[in-house]
Amino acid sequence: MSFAFRLGVSTLALSIAAGSAFAQDDDFWAKAGEKFQGVTLRGVTEATPPSNYISDVLAPEFEEKTGIRVEIETTSWDQMYDKAIKDMEAGTGIYDMVYIEQDIVYAYLARDFLVDVTQTLADNPDLKAPGFDEAAFTTFADYFRGENGDLYGIPMEAFIKIYLYRTDLFNDPEVQAAYKEATGNELKPATTHEEYTQIAEFFTKWGEDHDMDLWGTTAQAHTGHPASWYEYVETVAPTFGVYGWGIDPDNNYAATVENGGTMNSDEAKAALKWWLHMRDIAPPESVQSTWTEVATTFAAGRAAQGLVYGENAAWIASDDSKSRVVGNVGVALPPMEDGVMADAESGAGYIGYYDGGAFGLPVTSKNQDAALLFLQYIGQESVQPGWAVAAPRITHTATYDDAGVQEMNDELGGYYDMLREDGKLFAGAPPYPFHAQLREAVAPIFYDILTGNIDPDSGLDQMAEKTEQELTDLGYRQ
Amino acid sequence: MRKNRPWLYVLFWILISFLTLFPIYWLFVISVKPAVDLFSTPDILLKSFYWQNYIDVLNDRTLRGYMVNSLVISSGNALLCTTLGFLACYALSRFDMGGKESIFFWTITNRMAPPAVFLLPLFLLMTQVYKVGDFTLLDTRIGMILVYCTFNLPFAIWTLRPTVDGIPKELDEAAYVDGASAWKVITEVVFPLARPGLAVTLILTWVFAWNEYLLAATLTNFNARTLTTGLSEYVTTTGTEWGIMAAISVFTLIPALIVFGMVQKHIVAGLTFGAVKG
Amino acid sequence: MHSNKLGWLLLAPTLLVLFFFGVLPFIYVVYVSFHQWNPFAVNPDMVFNWAENYRRVVFDAQFLASLGVTAAFVFFAVISELILGYLLAQAFMKDFPGKAIFRTIHTLPLIMAPIIVGSIWKLMTTPSIGIIPNLLDSWFGYNLNIGQSAIAAFITTVVMDIWHWTPLVTLTLIAALVSLPPDPFEQAQIDGAGKRQIFWHITLPMIRPAILATVFIRLMDALRTVDEVLMLTGGGPGSATRYVGVHIFKEVFPRTNYGYGSAISVIVLYLTIVVCWLLYVFLIAPRNKKG
Repeated sequence: MSFAFRLGVSTLALSIAAGSAFAQDDDFWAKAGEKFQGVTLRGVTEATPPSNYISDVLAPEFEEKTGIRVEIETTSWDQMYDKAIKDMEAGTGIYDMVYIEQDIVYAYLARDFLVDVTQTLADNPDLKAPGFDEAAFTTFADYFRGENGDLYGIPMEAFIKIYLYRTDLFNDPEVQAAYKEATGNELKPATTHEEYTQIAEFFTKWGEDHDMDLWGTTAQAHTGHPASWYEYVETVAPTFGVYGWGIDPDNNYAATVENGGTMNSDEAKAALKWWLHMRDIAPPESVQSTWTEVATTFAAGRAAQGLVYGENAAWIASDDSKSRVVGNVGVALPPMEDGVMADAESGAGYIGYYDGGAFGLPVTSKNQDAALLFLQYIGQESVQPGWAVAAPRITHTATYDDAGVQEMNDELGGYYDMLREDGKLFAGAPPYPFHAQLREAVAPIFYDILTGNIDPDSGLDQMAEKTEQELTDLGYRQ
Repeated sequence: MRKNRPWLYVLFWILISFLTLFPIYWLFVISVKPAVDLFSTPDILLKSFYWQNYIDVLNDRTLRGYMVNSLVISSGNALLCTTLGFLACYALSRFDMGGKESIFFWTITNRMAPPAVFLLPLFLLMTQVYKVGDFTLLDTRIGMILVYCTFNLPFAIWTLRPTVDGIPKELDEAAYVDGASAWKVITEVVFPLARPGLAVTLILTWVFAWNEYLLAATLTNFNARTLTTGLSEYVTTTGTEWGIMAAISVFTLIPALIVFGMVQKHIVAGLTFGAVKG
Repeated sequence: MHSNKLGWLLLAPTLLVLFFFGVLPFIYVVYVSFHQWNPFAVNPDMVFNWAENYRRVVFDAQFLASLGVTAAFVFFAVISELILGYLLAQAFMKDFPGKAIFRTIHTLPLIMAPIIVGSIWKLMTTPSIGIIPNLLDSWFGYNLNIGQSAIAAFITTVVMDIWHWTPLVTLTLIAALVSLPPDPFEQAQIDGAGKRQIFWHITLPMIRPAILATVFIRLMDALRTVDEVLMLTGGGPGSATRYVGVHIFKEVFPRTNYGYGSAISVIVLYLTIVVCWLLYVFLIAPRNKKG
């Protein structure tokens, strides 16, 4: 079934449902909107399918019910941050809603850029929508809670970065036999780095021997874009037991082993070298790949397995206008070292990246009450199933049980089941308010490691030192 | 290379044109392929056409708005810069003002500024200083027209100066003797003679404004967004829509090509920088 | 004739626009450059720190490296554009069929936005899936990898710049060559001068002002390059193509290092002005006076 068709069906289902069960809600929206006639809400977001669903479907619906217009500006990732920050920093009040990616929320909270949604709704009960319930969100919403436990953003995207593999290759008897002959093992999704390496090396050689455009793994290893740094610190290093970028926030933000950090620990060095080896046997375009190119590489059938952001899993597995591996995608947990799973289960660590974003309300907004209505509107449980099917993301516990979502789950090789069952093993970016600042400070060293200008060991040493220096300059490290 | 062997030149230019056109041809190739096809060993020849990218672009109403904004902003800016630059050059050329050569040089330093760091002050000025009541210059076409003057006005002055210098002073003096006003001299004596230079300045400033990205990306939000900023909407975490970007790019070429075509014949006559003897 | 008052009046709109959109922002940048200011530091406010930012710039190896690669980029790009542009302009001096069409084709790169140019060149040069590495591999067995080889990435940015901006140089020089008077050339030919002699002793001195003015504009534009390179390589591999424009962009955009980024910008602007001023004073201005 095509996306467009599904979108149509679910919108239809939704409008039928809306016609009966939610008539009472409609009264609320109409009444709540009365006060705000003529108001136009403005939001800024990155152009992603969930955001497009907001501007194409939810915003017009909201306008119809309340009479409040909503304009969404979509732009690229780096522009979006820059514009939102400039607006909030200068107090201009251009935006009534800003997209908050999980990794920047701590910076915004530290600067008191955002309105406390929980508190404001408690103070203004007449604004509270009947269909909005904070408790309905998955645990992912916790990333957007402040220290007081209040919600500062309405989750709208949530994904985990997962291990994708090609079921057609992994289940091919000829390939299985060749693999067994070459390695002595059965071919199945890897659970350890050794197994992953073995599979990757096997398929890269298989592609070479059969003159196919096939390699054993993906690698998000751009040598001039922070995507490569993210793959290392968020996806690879944790599976070697290096958490929180190797920085210890409880120990004066130490990064070097000397001072109690782990950024240049033996585990971190092993992780980097393992990943560099994967990069070497990945498709050649990997040295120019950010997250988007990695997904396209996999969708083009050029990699037998890989670590791919979950927001791409859906179209890779199901959209035949964009992907050549539809129906042949399996999902699994990333390979990891011993002890990492135990850490993740106890909460001491995690096995990969839980990514996503929310819509927040800047304190500088001039239409806070109206914006609060819209945020509740998109946070209602009733709008979630249609949204989840059109732009695969899940933010509410109940959405998993929706029939359309279940159907997709089967198509995606059980991705949603994994998100539901194992999502807790993954973690968002560490709660640092200096996310982009630190990244940009150390990224040049990281790029030099990738090009071979610096060897990985001394490169990580330099990165750890640079981290401490930068955090000292910014005032976080005393 | 004698003049009786023009075919040699034709051959030479066919070769050069091939090199010049190849990236543009490739832009077209990208625009008629689904994204996933870009990730394979490329064929130099097109074997099939995939028109969906163009259909998507044509159906996108916001893009049409961006196109209008781009046209208004670049045309407005080119006209403004050419007019102001022409008047400034007349002043620099015909009057003996103290420090005029320093002013002349100073104008061009405005073009040298690294753009990234000037965005913050421009943003602050446009939102908090240059405003009347609720109206601010941010996200308006007129705001962008004025901002683009920082790099286009100096360029206009520098390209027009030799042209205006090259028009003999005796001509204006004769007109003044006949009792013409300064305005009349500028519009009826100097302007016609400077027309080729003005045409070139107009087209080049138009092109620079049409192609600008960084300033427009930061200083427009909803109402004055231009086509180049529209492109950045297709760079997303779930995939860079290369095909759609390329299709939009092909569309951005068309107006530029039309404008360029209209004044092409003036360019050769008018692009003189320093060559005209003063 | 008229008093200078009229001259100032004609100049006034230009001065006003440049003052409000060029000078005032510049004053703000200078002001910020004397402060420590990163809105995501523990102290998010501006803190006056004398010339500390400028002191740091002098010892900032990354910035100095960036200046170095920028100098190399500008040098190779502008020199190549000049030589190529001159040769192409000469080739347009003769009459041959289809000249107008070829001239139109040759101006096409000029009308493309830098951000588009960067995107096309990225897709053309990505290892394994780009057309250029594939052609180079099958023709010469050369493996072009702009994601890994610093020199390959550097050359690619230079070639991209040459492709994009040579037409501007060609157009300018065509205009200069067209307006040359024929007499000195005829005289030289009568005197039996060779082609090389004519070029060095007649053509070159006569179009020198045009050449210099073109170099001048190209030089300052190449120094400000951001969009194209950011799209093509992101400043990589490593820091191989992290030209000052890109470097400043990364300092003030993602890193929000407003104070230090402003100081770098002021220095870069200062260096640009000095280089251009020297060029202007010694090579361009004398011609203006003479005229």
